[in-house]
Amino acid sequence: MSAYAELAITTNFSFLRGASRPDEIASEATRLGLSAIGIADRNSLAGVVRVWDSLRQIARQDEGNAPRFLVGSRLVFSGGTPDILAYPRDRKAYGNLCRLLTAGKLRAEKGGCILSFDDLAQWQEGLLFIVVPSLKTDPPTPGTSHRKRGRKDKVEAHADLKALLVSLATLAPGRVWLAASMLHKGDDRHRLKKLSRISREASVPLIAINDVLYHVAERRPLQDVVTCIREHVTLDTAGTLLEANAERHLKSPEEMARLFRSAPDAIEETQRFSSRIAFSLDQLRYNYPSEPVPAGKTPHQHLVDLTWEGAARRFRYGIPKKVRETIEKELALIAALDLPHYFLTVHDIVRIAGEKKILCQGRGSAANSAVCYALGITAVDPTQIDLLFERFVSQERKEPPDIDVDFEHERREEIIQDIYRRYGHDRAALTATVICYRPRSAIREVGKAFGLTEDVTAALASGVWGSWGSELKDKEVRAGKFDPENALVARAIAFANELMGFPRHLSQHPGGFVLTQDRLDTIVPVGPAAMEDRWFIEWDKDDIDALGMMKVDVLALGMLTCIRKAFALIGDVDGKPLDLARVPREDPEVYDMLCKADAIGVFQVESRAQMNMLPRLKPKTFYDLVIEVAIVRPGPIQGDMVHPYLRRRSGQETIEFPSPSPMHGPADELKAVLGKTLGVPLFQEQAMKLAIVAARFTPDEANGLRRAMATFRNVGTIDSFREKMVEGMVERGYERDFAERCFHQIEGFGSYGFPESHAASFAHLVYISAWIKCHYPAEFACALLNSQPMGFYAPAEIVRDAREHGVEVRAPDINHSDWDNTLEGAKIYKDAGFPRALRLGFRQIDSLGQSAAIAIVAARDQPFTSIADFARRTSLGRPALILLAEADCFGSIGLDRREALWQVRRLSGKAPLPLFDAQNQSELAEEETAPLPVMPESEQVLADYQTLRLSLKGYPMQYLRALFSREGAKSCAEIQNGKDGEHARTAGVVLVRQMPGTAGVVFVTLSDETGIANVVVWPRVLERFRGAVMGSRLLFVEGKIQRSPEGIVHLVSERLVDRTHELERLSEDGFSPRIHEGDIPPPPDPRGAPAHRHPRDVRILPKSRDFH
Amino acid sequence: MVRILGQRRILALWLPRLPTDRIRRGKANAVGPETPLVVVAKIDNALRLVALDERASRLSLKKGQPLADARAMVPELSVIESDPKADAKLLEAVADWCDRFTPFVALDEDGLLLDITGASHLFGGEKTMLLKITSLMAKQHFAVQGAIAGSAMAARALARHAPGTIVAPGKEAVAIAPLPVAALALDPDIAHAFRRAGLKTIGQVASRGRAELGARFVRATLDRLDLALGRGERPISPRRKLPDLMVEHRFAEPVITEDAISAALLALMHSLARVLEERGQGVRRLAAVFFRADGLRRELTVDTARPTRDAKILLRLFRERLDALTDPLDPGFGFDLIRLEARDTEREEQVAQGFADDRSEKEIAFLIDRLAARFGVNRVLRFLPQDTHIPEAAAVAVPAQRSLPARMSFAPKQEKKEPPRRPLRLFDHPEPIEVLAEVPDGPPRQFRWRRALHAVTRAEGPERIAMEWWKHATPKPTRDYYRVEDEKGARFWLYRDGLFERETIKPRWYIHGLFA
Repeated sequence: MSAYAELAITTNFSFLRGASRPDEIASEATRLGLSAIGIADRNSLAGVVRVWDSLRQIARQDEGNAPRFLVGSRLVFSGGTPDILAYPRDRKAYGNLCRLLTAGKLRAEKGGCILSFDDLAQWQEGLLFIVVPSLKTDPPTPGTSHRKRGRKDKVEAHADLKALLVSLATLAPGRVWLAASMLHKGDDRHRLKKLSRISREASVPLIAINDVLYHVAERRPLQDVVTCIREHVTLDTAGTLLEANAERHLKSPEEMARLFRSAPDAIEETQRFSSRIAFSLDQLRYNYPSEPVPAGKTPHQHLVDLTWEGAARRFRYGIPKKVRETIEKELALIAALDLPHYFLTVHDIVRIAGEKKILCQGRGSAANSAVCYALGITAVDPTQIDLLFERFVSQERKEPPDIDVDFEHERREEIIQDIYRRYGHDRAALTATVICYRPRSAIREVGKAFGLTEDVTAALASGVWGSWGSELKDKEVRAGKFDPENALVARAIAFANELMGFPRHLSQHPGGFVLTQDRLDTIVPVGPAAMEDRWFIEWDKDDIDALGMMKVDVLALGMLTCIRKAFALIGDVDGKPLDLARVPREDPEVYDMLCKADAIGVFQVESRAQMNMLPRLKPKTFYDLVIEVAIVRPGPIQGDMVHPYLRRRSGQETIEFPSPSPMHGPADELKAVLGKTLGVPLFQEQAMKLAIVAARFTPDEANGLRRAMATFRNVGTIDSFREKMVEGMVERGYERDFAERCFHQIEGFGSYGFPESHAASFAHLVYISAWIKCHYPAEFACALLNSQPMGFYAPAEIVRDAREHGVEVRAPDINHSDWDNTLEGAKIYKDAGFPRALRLGFRQIDSLGQSAAIAIVAARDQPFTSIADFARRTSLGRPALILLAEADCFGSIGLDRREALWQVRRLSGKAPLPLFDAQNQSELAEEETAPLPVMPESEQVLADYQTLRLSLKGYPMQYLRALFSREGAKSCAEIQNGKDGEHARTAGVVLVRQMPGTAGVVFVTLSDETGIANVVVWPRVLERFRGAVMGSRLLFVEGKIQRSPEGIVHLVSERLVDRTHELERLSEDGFSPRIHEGDIPPPPDPRGAPAHRHPRDVRILPKSRDFH
Repeated sequence: MVRILGQRRILALWLPRLPTDRIRRGKANAVGPETPLVVVAKIDNALRLVALDERASRLSLKKGQPLADARAMVPELSVIESDPKADAKLLEAVADWCDRFTPFVALDEDGLLLDITGASHLFGGEKTMLLKITSLMAKQHFAVQGAIAGSAMAARALARHAPGTIVAPGKEAVAIAPLPVAALALDPDIAHAFRRAGLKTIGQVASRGRAELGARFVRATLDRLDLALGRGERPISPRRKLPDLMVEHRFAEPVITEDAISAALLALMHSLARVLEERGQGVRRLAAVFFRADGLRRELTVDTARPTRDAKILLRLFRERLDALTDPLDPGFGFDLIRLEARDTEREEQVAQGFADDRSEKEIAFLIDRLAARFGVNRVLRFLPQDTHIPEAAAVAVPAQRSLPARMSFAPKQEKKEPPRRPLRLFDHPEPIEVLAEVPDGPPRQFRWRRALHAVTRAEGPERIAMEWWKHATPKPTRDYYRVEDEKGARFWLYRDGLFERETIKPRWYIHGLFA
């Protein structure tokens, strides 16, 4: 049997062309027994690491049978040149290929690549070329918008093809091949003869390819679908844009030999070709940048010096013995694993932030080490939490550890620019994020290809709450009320399921930086990102991981912005320079506050689920916060670990450790793993460790398991892992139920695994933000508002919470407000005995620009006395004046919203010319008019909501209280104090709607003038009242009060009514026109078809925030 | 023409649910009467409700609401995409129908304005007339509201907000005072400003001093107010659908004889042709409108495949058309006006592309036009190549007149100097044959068709064509086509139905066509 290597394989990283995933290609090629596979995606190397990695895994499991892997790319030119497959012979040639692709990418719009034959000539050294002549029977050249391009530019005329081969062979002697394929086009044999002749004439060997688009023939339909998506046509209109048959799959050597029986040399040539290639991705050597290490010092020595210097600064009263020992141990390990460079590089970035006074904090494996604490990478005190460094810097994984650094979200850009400045654009770039098809996008696109109307696909897509599910479930399809049996819809859904997880384009990672010593574009192609002066590589973090390259995540975190702003406000009064490490630790008042679930605005624990957990968990120490952060996560929830942990913590259940049967190992083998969490696995690494200890996974396998979970839709591998883990544990005597739960938990971690170290970093920010909220409520609210958008709550809730904590909040005013929210009142905070007042800033006013605020503050050398005075001195245009009047900002000059608006209207539209100042003023002064009707308070409140999204004057619900009381509805506060099991009704404005996980339960948070009420809607009820649950702004609920022992109250809904229209009562608009003289019977109520309404009126209250 | 204020009477009609009424009235889109119906359009990249039927409005769905929200609330909602053209067409038709009440009909937003000055007495007075119009329209399943006033602005405001009102001359201000400001159809920003000021009705706005308003609002706003209050007047502009070009001839003495009519037509054609020539245009649709002295109106239209301005050709087309009429043009007491309307004109150069022999193509086009004028557009067909791999779907017959100007988007492929890939004669139904061939995909060696045995001397293939999987519930077999030649030199197109082993164990064979 003749060996065969397939050299023209397209994966689904040739977006919307290839229809198989890299791992599918790898395993099918192995099954067929191909001697080698060459991956050649269109002008890209984006998929190669995945194929390489899959083959590596196959080779590990199934020794020796995996095909060799050849890295290549299919060069697609912008002129009429046919496609050319390029394969680098050696490492240097690989660098040329990367630079060739980089050149093309930098020239193109985002995501594109414009190559010319000249580029090829420039970078051809060491590359092997296979020319793929285009077939006349091919669809029109893809890429150029379909059908527009004529068929004339097809190069198949002998002369053209021969000329190309000759000129390419002159350029790259002995490195050019001519590809032939037998795809059952009707004239295959004829073509083959023709190509043989050309190859002889041009003295270029003929080589067999099957120009593969998918791994098995059964993928043809999906390939047709992606073609339709790509070309924006439907299956019915695509016609010959689609392939005529299903032949472009991987074929066995026998089949290829049979097809090429008249030209066996072409098959043998694939072996000669692959033997010429010596390059493999293993040869990529990563070099750390040299900048962080001063000349004349070894990296290790520098790290040691920096660490001890830092430690001395951190522990001003002497480094504790334990810390000293830990540091020594860690430094030794870092040296042994040759990682000093890595820590120095991270330190370098953190140092830049320190110089700029930008708050940052590291997290991730290794971040919470004593060394990182000393280096200032984290502020989590190693004495406060006992994290084993070895656990994160594994000896087995020869990969650098993972450290993410969060920066203030408003200032991260400065850091990024500094990194570019320090390392240069050719050595620093962002990693890619592979944007994949998600349920919504998949069904929308596939639906279009099937010719479903936009309405139907939109309905199907919107029926999917939460876009993280990996499959469109029947239930979700029904939620959109589509019969899944309906053949067309069912079919579209089946394909959407298949398409899900396919990459659709590459995007820049928000902050994952790759830094190197060598030119980055000789390691991987680099392309421009959407943002100017931003570049990103073609590989994502998994690829980088697999290759052992270093990456630092430079991320943005809103809470750090808020904390820095709060620190500044506190410093203003107390003069205490605070930083993340200097906030007093373990303050019992802070923990008391959190135990009461008084956590609005506090980092992480402010979510509904976290707020429910707080009174149950009752955190008393820092480590409790670490657990609090980690426990309300899909992992522990899906693994059903939450309740066991809570029971044990409250002493209702004895703490015991699951154990194997005695013959298999010591009964306490899990104590070391689960000791800190009372025998219940909560953190990601505990689950992994469980796999190793209890199910006897090798560390490599455990790592494979982690990776399989993180990668989207690895259905096949996950099942084999499940089997191995569950059966492994059961075999060793563990209870099956426990084993199953552990695996569920790992599944739950998915790509959002939450290791202890992450939890610790987050817990630190939880503590600090809670400390600020507890002791400085005004500063906290002010900083929170000034850092918006961030967090969970709208400004209205933040303001309400601040007022409930005794903070006086003052309305925005032209004579008092700045752009930012500010604090007014006593400077000496604690002495005054009460918090300072919070003055709302102009930034709270919808659509008012910062420039207007600056103009106002600049012109405010003395108080403004009238609108005319204000307009003249600030030179603001009428639109800005109207916005200020709408927001009721003229209170200090004695004008309410209505009067101010009426006066502003009189001002000329443009900024007044100084010459006419006097004239303007006199004109305004002369007018004498009857007073306007007084605006009722309820309408003032509504208008506040429309412009500020909050009101200090009242709450919409209070004006409807009488109405709802008549219906027996209680206030939210009354519900909160209701008895368990009591039947009750309430009504309120919908604040948040959430559907966590897959259970189908919807949580709705209602609010009124007394507080909030938590409503639970079970799926059965949701089914009946879907419209009300999903569509209401004002919701009436009837149900049963459920009160937990910890005092958490839910209203379990039984009936829900949309009462949004009642909000119209708040406006004085509510009147009906009088019917006149005519005695014609009144026609149908014209309501529902009113004339156009201003958007402000339609949106009576700000929309609720819906999380999925 | 100046009219004296107060003398005019305007009847305003509002059809608030025109789009949904249109869909309900249509037979093609039968929506169950119980199902709430909405019409949606893409606004700011989201599908939003633009019209609702009565049932949908009762479910508290709102115009402008995103469809996704509406669906979340009312899953059984029936949704149709908006078709403003169809709405406009329907409104035109309603306006046509209103012609019988008064010739002065103007299009309004979602409604009509009828100048009924001096006409109401023909219909039993204003009240009866309004009732008659609205109830006749209601019988036609239109939701409709109407009102009558001395100014268009007042009438339309009342029709929307106080339907049925008939305002006595000069009493407009009183009648509209209680209506909301929105009735003035102001710019939303201005309407909002009035409401914020607490001036929520037209009356409240009107009560403020003119100077006070004038200092705050643009002139147009005040004008609208004045118009509504009956303080000013603006004539309605009667709707008239203007043809691209129009020539007409009024006869002092009505013409009766065919010769006279023909002569008049020819003269009109010539003058039309002159104008067309100046513009470099040709006509694709031409209408001749014959106005009979007794008021009857008859209209004949002809279509041409290519823009043309040849008067003789056009006249011949009209002749063909006249000859083919089942109910002949009856001049009665004669036509006093004949009008030619060029309804559809195009630049004439557009035609001549792509064909070597322009003249023969012109003759073919003329032949098609004549045949179509006589036998009907749908009975003169031509084959149009289709963009598909499936052989039997490669050509469809379409009306010849319509297909000609269509872009020839797809030309069948054939390489130069190569034998044709597709047979000259393709069977409607492939016929089964018995074949001797090598598996899995060898060419036929011999085959028996209609009892005759053919030995294959040459074969080319296979050309493998997979069927359109999305069209069939169970997959149809893939075909391997061969072009074969038998010992007598006859050429056939055969295929194996189904891939050996992959799809079937014993593939069947068919003959699908004959090469010349």
